[in-house]
Amino acid sequence: MSRALLLQLALPLVQTHGFTRETLARSVLSLPTPHSKPLSETAVSALFGNGDDARRTLIEAWLDSGRESMKAAPTPAVKDVLGTRLRHNEPVLRHLPEAFALLATSTPPLPPLHLTPALKHAASVADEACRVAGDASTGTAWYARRASLAAVYAAAELHQLTSPHSAYDFLNSLLDKASAVEHAISETELFTRYIARSWAGIINSRGIF
Amino acid sequence: MLRLPKALPRAISRPFCQVSRRRANHTQPHSNSQTTAGRTTHFGFQTVPEESKESLVKNVFDSVASSYDVMNDAMSLGVHRLWKDDYVSQLKPGSRGPMKCIDVAGGTGDIALRILDHARENYADRETTVDVVDINGEMLREGYKRFKKTMYHNTSQIAFHEGNAQALPESQFPSNTYDMYTIAFGIRNCTSIPDVLKEAYRVLKPGGTFACLEFSRVNNPMLSAIYDQYSFSVIPLLGTILAADRASYQYLVESIRRFPSQPDFAKMIQDAGFVTGGMHEGKGGAWTDLWGGIACIHTGVKI
Repeated sequence: MSRALLLQLALPLVQTHGFTRETLARSVLSLPTPHSKPLSETAVSALFGNGDDARRTLIEAWLDSGRESMKAAPTPAVKDVLGTRLRHNEPVLRHLPEAFALLATSTPPLPPLHLTPALKHAASVADEACRVAGDASTGTAWYARRASLAAVYAAAELHQLTSPHSAYDFLNSLLDKASAVEHAISETELFTRYIARSWAGIINSRGIF
Repeated sequence: MLRLPKALPRAISRPFCQVSRRRANHTQPHSNSQTTAGRTTHFGFQTVPEESKESLVKNVFDSVASSYDVMNDAMSLGVHRLWKDDYVSQLKPGSRGPMKCIDVAGGTGDIALRILDHARENYADRETTVDVVDINGEMLREGYKRFKKTMYHNTSQIAFHEGNAQALPESQFPSNTYDMYTIAFGIRNCTSIPDVLKEAYRVLKPGGTFACLEFSRVNNPMLSAIYDQYSFSVIPLLGTILAADRASYQYLVESIRRFPSQPDFAKMIQDAGFVTGGMHEGKGGAWTDLWGGIACIHTGVKI
C-alpha cells in the first residue's frame, strides 16, 4: 500500500470530482478492500499536503500519467505522440483551466503569478515526445527541437481548451509550420555559409590578408 | 521535550557527568541505539538495560510534573507553544465532523486542550473527544488539574488514562477505535519506537491519522552550529540556574541527538504499516520541519 497507489486510484475520479481534495479523499473507496467512507481532511493533508498543496500533488500525478500515456501512441511519429497526449486531456478538459490556474498561482513570498510550472509542463511533454519518437539530435539541434515542440504543444493545448474538436488539425498545421520554419532556418544557414565562404575566397584571392 | 528530570537516581546521574566531558563528540553518529543481543537501549548518550529505561523515564517525570510547563517555556523561550499550535492547526481536528482522538504521552494535556479548542473555535464542534494517555500518574494529575479550569472538565470530551504507549491494553484501547493519534515530544522517551508505532497502528481506524511532533535534525549547517552551541552550553546552564540540575538538562539535549533523523523516522512510520507523504520535507512530504528542523511533524495514515 502506498501513496502512489492512492493517487492512481484518484485519477479516474478526476473526471467527476475535478482536481479537488474530495477526489483524493474518495480514492480509498476504490481500494480492493474499500473503506466505508472517504478519508478525513486530516488524512488527506497528512498524505498529500495542506490546503491547495494536496490539489497540486494530484495535478502533478495527473500530468505524470499524461506523459506515461504518450508511450501508447499508435506510431512513434511526433504528430501521433503529441496527439495521444492531447487525447489524454479530453475527459478532464473542463477541469483543466482551473488546474493550470492553480499551478500558476503561488504563495505570497513569490510573485503572484509564476510561469515555471507551465513551461516545465510543456518542456517535459516535448522531451517525452522526442524520447518516444527516437529523436537523435545533439548539440543546439537538441534544444531547438524541444523548444519548437514545446511551443507547438503549448499552443495546441491552449487551443484545445477553447476548441477541443479542431485541436488535432491545429496541432498538425503547427507541426507542419514548425518543420517549414526549421527547414527555412536550415536553408538560410546553408546559404549564409556559402556567402561567407565566397567572401572569404574573394578576400583571400585579393591578397588582403 | 522539555520533560526533564529534576532528580535522577544516583546510578544515572553519575554517567551524565562523564558524558559532559565528551561533549565535543555530540554531533557524531552513534552506534545503533538498540541491540537485541544485550537488550540495551539509550538514555541520553548512555546505554542502559532496556528494562530500566521505562522506570528511569517514569521517575524523571514524576519529579518534574508540577513545573513541566514552566520548564518548557524556559528551555524553548516559549517557542514550543508556537510549534504545538502549528501542529494542531495542521491536523485540523473537527474539520469534517467530530473525531475520536488519542493523545499519547500527553499527561499535562496541552495538546488535548489545543485539539478541543481548535475543534470548538473553528468548527463549533463540541463532540470531538480526546483520550489522554501517559505512563506517569503525576503528569496526568497535572493535566487533570489544568482541565478543571476549562469548560471540558467533567464532560465526555476528555478522559485521562495511565498507560504505556508501547503496550496499550486491548481492553481499554480496542483496535480500530481512533480517528487521530497524536504524540508530542514523547516518543523520544520510549524504549522502543517501533512498538509505539505498532500500537498506534493498532488503535487507529482505517483512514485514521498518526501525527508526531518531536525534536529532530537541523540540516542547515549554520543554524545547526548555533543550535548545538545553545543546546550544549546554554541549556545545561539554564538547568543549573532554574533547577539546580545540570545532568537532567544534559539528558534532554542528548536524547534529542539520539533520535532518528527525519527520513529514518519516516521510514520507521512506513515500516509500521502507515502510508506517508513523499519521502521529502514540506508540501506533500512525510514530514514538516519547524524552525529548520529543530522540531518536526511526522504524519502517516492507516489505510
